[in-house]
Amino acid sequence: METFNSVIRQVPLEHYLILSFFLFSIGLAGVLFRRNTIIILMCLELMFNSVNLLLTAFSAHHNDPGGQVFVFFIMLVAAAEVTVGLAILVMMKRNVDSVDINQLNRLKW
Amino acid sequence: MSALILTSVLGVVLLYFGLFGNKKLLAPVGIVGLVAALVLSWTGWNPGIMEFPTMVEFDRMSVLFNCAMIVVTILIFLFGIDYYERMEENVAEHYALMIFSLTGAFLLTSYTNLLMLFLGIEILSIPLYILAGGKKRSYRSSEASFKYFLLGSFATAFFLMGIALIYGVTASFDLHVIQAKLATGASSNVLFLLGSFFVAIGLSFKVAAVPFHFWSPDVYEGAPTLVTAFMATVVKTAAFAGFYRFVQMTGLPPALANTLLVMTVLTLLVGNVVALRQSQFKRLMAYSSIAHSGFLLMAILANGVMTPNTLFYYTFTYALATVGLFVVLTLAKRAANGNEAITIFRGLFRANPWLAFVTMLLLLSLAGIPLTAGFIAKYQVFMLAIGAGFIKTAVFAVVMALVGIYYYVLVIREAFTPAEETPVLVVSPLNWLVITLCGISVVAFAVWPLNLVG
Repeated sequence: METFNSVIRQVPLEHYLILSFFLFSIGLAGVLFRRNTIIILMCLELMFNSVNLLLTAFSAHHNDPGGQVFVFFIMLVAAAEVTVGLAILVMMKRNVDSVDINQLNRLKW
Repeated sequence: MSALILTSVLGVVLLYFGLFGNKKLLAPVGIVGLVAALVLSWTGWNPGIMEFPTMVEFDRMSVLFNCAMIVVTILIFLFGIDYYERMEENVAEHYALMIFSLTGAFLLTSYTNLLMLFLGIEILSIPLYILAGGKKRSYRSSEASFKYFLLGSFATAFFLMGIALIYGVTASFDLHVIQAKLATGASSNVLFLLGSFFVAIGLSFKVAAVPFHFWSPDVYEGAPTLVTAFMATVVKTAAFAGFYRFVQMTGLPPALANTLLVMTVLTLLVGNVVALRQSQFKRLMAYSSIAHSGFLLMAILANGVMTPNTLFYYTFTYALATVGLFVVLTLAKRAANGNEAITIFRGLFRANPWLAFVTMLLLLSLAGIPLTAGFIAKYQVFMLAIGAGFIKTAVFAVVMALVGIYYYVLVIREAFTPAEETPVLVVSPLNWLVITLCGISVVAFAVWPLNLVG
């Protein structure tokens, strides 16, 4: 743990912050602009993982294990969420035979 | 704490009942379990030993909110006995998922740690994603489910980013520690502001505040009516309780307060104005729910001593009125062969005068007409906002409440207009009981307002 923390601390905190904001933005852009729902799910995972990276970096710099424990919870919940999401996706695919997000247009106004 | 454990076990027990095909027993067992949970929650009114004080804390506020949510869930289960009898094959999962969702709601009302807030929101939401897609062969239901899932996860990502940033500044997830750190000046830190802003975005998604409300009308419309009733009541109550706890922790730094103010005004405006042009009843209820979020946000913004009481009274009376209306909608929808337009209420008075009368009471309560609980709830919110100095916002909210009366009265007018052919409503005794209970309580709470101390 201690060696791990010191390895992480060799890189300044700002770099982690910028990297994870960057990853988060890539995920965000993907969710907003991609039309394939599978890719959207992947981009959501990317957003979650950028948070994981940030939490780990903060945790090492604060020398507090709490942040790294939180990462396990996020992984667990993200797995559960994606499981449900893929099941819903399969259900939708059966109904409209497509995974294009533009199919989601029957409910509006 | 024991109520939390009981509900999580109850969900598993219900799944077993479903496995062995005891369909008739499901709802009664669920209701008995929920009554037990209600009693257990209520015994926590006088706080004894706190288990896991760094994670959850069942103080009086959370006991009140938990009891209210259990009561509403019991009403929804009573409605569900009749609803699921003719609709679904795998009923056990629906009941169990609702109970699991309620477990998450308990965490949201009582967390003292951001980890518990995160887990609470997810335990609340993930079952709902499934429940919204409850009608497997209906396209609209799966679309609602997928939209809810996608936007819900999207909001969760923001919310997590917020938590990570708050952790980065304060080095802790514990609200008490964070509060102590904030007192020493961390609250002006840019990262902290950004973090609390992101968490507020995540929570606003759950309470459907403008501009994060787009999912709500679609999901309300597509999801099965019973699930919509659950989402509009229990989920909203839990999300607002969670929101209040978070705001109480940050103490609303000016930047966050201004953001919330803008959101409140937008929510009041969009909710009430867009509701005016709805022709589908469920979408109308969705926009009405958005409008009510605006009033509730105003109470949170005021952040005074009376805020938890006001939030509790408002969400509880709103939930009672909403559940009753969704039961009436289901009955009218059945008579109209699945049509959900507002016009299906036409002829309700001829068909069943008592039903029409209660519907009127419930709608008047939502509109906030005097002598109903909705009026007292709105009055309390206005007094709270004025007391905290938000006079312009309060005046604007009053105007918006007046606009809101129009679309509720539109539905009442339909109910009292004679139809060409009077719809044949089949009202089972249980449905009658739920509707009557909601109607009576909406008036009773107006006569004896609950001024329980939070």
